[in-house]
Amino acid sequence: MSTPYWIRPEGAPVRERSERRSALSLATLGARTRSRRIAGYAIAIFGTVALTLILLPFRDNLVPLSKGFGFLVVVVCAAAVGGLAPGVLASVIDFVVFNFFFLPPYNTFTVARAEYVAVLFVFLGISILISALLARAQERAEAAEAREAELRTLQELSADLVTSLPGRDTYARVLQRIVRVFAFDAASLHFDERLFGEATEPVTVGAADPIPMQWDPSWEGRAPERLPLTVGGRSLGLIAMVGDRPPLDPRESRVLRAFCDQLALILEDERLLRTATQVEVYRQTEEMRRSLLAAVSHDLRSPLAAIKASVTDLLDDGATHSPGEVRAALEAVDDQTDRLNALVANLLDMSRIEAGMLRSRAQTVDLEEILVASADRVAAQRPGIDVSVSVGDSASLVRADPVFLERVVVNLLENAVTASTKATVREVRLEARRSEGEVVVRVIDHGEGVPPNIRELLFYPFYSLERRGARLGTGLGLAICKGLVSVMDGQIWIEDTPGGGATFAVSLPAAESSSAVPPTPLPRAQEAGARNAGPST
Amino acid sequence: MPGRQPEKGRILVVDDEEQIRLALARALTARQYVVEARPEGESALRTVDWFRPDLIVLDLNLPGIDGLEVCRRVRATSEVPILILSVREEEADKVEALNLGADDYLTKPFGIEEFLARIRALLRRAGGAGVAASSVFRENGLEIDVEQRTVRRGGADERLTKTEWALLDALSQHPGKLLTHRWLLERVWGPGYEDDVDVLRVFVSQLRKKIEPDPSRPRIIVTDPGVGYRWTLRAGEAGSGAAAEMA
Repeated sequence: MSTPYWIRPEGAPVRERSERRSALSLATLGARTRSRRIAGYAIAIFGTVALTLILLPFRDNLVPLSKGFGFLVVVVCAAAVGGLAPGVLASVIDFVVFNFFFLPPYNTFTVARAEYVAVLFVFLGISILISALLARAQERAEAAEAREAELRTLQELSADLVTSLPGRDTYARVLQRIVRVFAFDAASLHFDERLFGEATEPVTVGAADPIPMQWDPSWEGRAPERLPLTVGGRSLGLIAMVGDRPPLDPRESRVLRAFCDQLALILEDERLLRTATQVEVYRQTEEMRRSLLAAVSHDLRSPLAAIKASVTDLLDDGATHSPGEVRAALEAVDDQTDRLNALVANLLDMSRIEAGMLRSRAQTVDLEEILVASADRVAAQRPGIDVSVSVGDSASLVRADPVFLERVVVNLLENAVTASTKATVREVRLEARRSEGEVVVRVIDHGEGVPPNIRELLFYPFYSLERRGARLGTGLGLAICKGLVSVMDGQIWIEDTPGGGATFAVSLPAAESSSAVPPTPLPRAQEAGARNAGPST
Repeated sequence: MPGRQPEKGRILVVDDEEQIRLALARALTARQYVVEARPEGESALRTVDWFRPDLIVLDLNLPGIDGLEVCRRVRATSEVPILILSVREEEADKVEALNLGADDYLTKPFGIEEFLARIRALLRRAGGAGVAASSVFRENGLEIDVEQRTVRRGGADERLTKTEWALLDALSQHPGKLLTHRWLLERVWGPGYEDDVDVLRVFVSQLRKKIEPDPSRPRIIVTDPGVGYRWTLRAGEAGSGAAAEMA
């Protein structure tokens, strides 16, 4: 690593000074204590000098007690501002100065009267006592202030955790706060691989790459601060922080550790939730896989059973069959073979779609032509239901694969016709409308309709198995439609038909009518795989 | 059909797959059975009332009322033999249907010969040929008299325990019928033992040692894996008609 990785990446937001103000930094709290102490010493020294200069001209006119009280003021001030040490210093200096300049004989340390000795030591004692009392009061105030600052910081750090759901965004915001409050440059939250899986990337703020958990001393810059996240003795991960600042002092460490405990609890929550979700997802997938398998085997075996029964019936010498019966049996075999073939083709298509191997040959397609051709085809197969087509202005040209599109439309139409056989309004409408950059094709029937809660599910393979009648197809039709539509960059969904019934809607990208490309005629050539399989429901 | 041989029996086929229904109906009609075919349970139950079938071929996977329910409702009023059709995934349903009183099952796809053999066996049994008409079974030097509680093999007496007799009794009362583990356990050991399949297995194996010519390849008490056992001897007969039919 050639440059320290915590260098702020280009364009990363620069910390706002005003943001910093919001938190009473624990570091500044310490600095303030230091500067007050210095002020205390200054008062002790310069206060004494000043008082001495003021009192010297009058030293003969004042009784020693008054002079002593004057110095006591200096001691009190020094102690009040700077605490015990400046107070004691002031006491000692003033004791000496008082003795030297103001107790006769002047300018010597000898004391004329025994009484003065008592005065001197009473002065010293009182000075030190006052200093001690003042210092203790001040320390208490400072401790209270510090605790308040700690709590306020903790509260601020935790605000996101308490108000947001667990998740990477929340963790990023939390790291942002840590970085801001403690004046780091960058921080990373690492997750324990054994608990969260290797795929769980660290969350990092203020740097392009995560700050490594292990520090290699050969790298430039300071080692990152690391704080473990543990719950009940189990490690969930750690926070690594770097920045151009002194190492964390004990007070800051204490706050951060308290905060890390909270964060660890949230991580644990998330982990448990995730495990539960995974189990649930697995269960559902498993269930779906099983029903899919059951559906496939049912759909494969039913035609096989009919074929086997018909063929073995013909082969059996024990019975005489009329020519009509033989023909019926053979027709059944033929019919069921086609059905098996269509099912296998659909299964292959489905697996191609799921493997992402199906490519759309998108071109400009005359929608009207496809809709009319599909409607004719379905109407010919299923007489008795009226199929009408209406294509709106400027809705005629779409970008689509014509083969895919026809399959989708025919499939939806067949479903609609089937749904209409028992309906009172036995008509199906096919319409296309332009809406912004899309054209929406709607297949509208007046059958039973689809309840909103199963609309999504209907597009899953074999969803309809349990509810479909014997009349219906393989249970793959809509799943394939959805796959085909999505490779054509479109969408498919279900709406209500006003007055009752289902409307299947397909959106496709519109093609510009100004384009010189002539509408593509429907390709007649049969292609392999997806392109020749018959549609189904 | 008029002009042909006299009818062999009246059969109701219930299957939602049209082509299977048609194929079975065609095969049965060609063999002089009288057939009605229905695609779902509701109409099948109505048909049972007026058609009075001698046998019902019942698919388990039906729209509306499913095969199990049809089985249950038929059994509530009638002892008509029921042959279950199922696919492999319906294993549990199949066993449940047998517990509900269905007589046999076939897994799709199946050949018509086997289908017809099962039907013949069920009709024969229902016709009274085998049902406890006599409690004496004879085959290849083996003689079992359930009434007299004697088993003679090669001229010598075999001694059976009380439980073995109870098991033999239960099995031999329904020749040809597939008896589920559950049914046998409840019948021989009583309610509460329905799931002790291992116990049943042990006693069946003991019983086989005493009556089967080759206990390692049983022909009298045949196993239907995972489902139950079938007694293949027919009462009062020499030879093994039923056994040949089921093999």
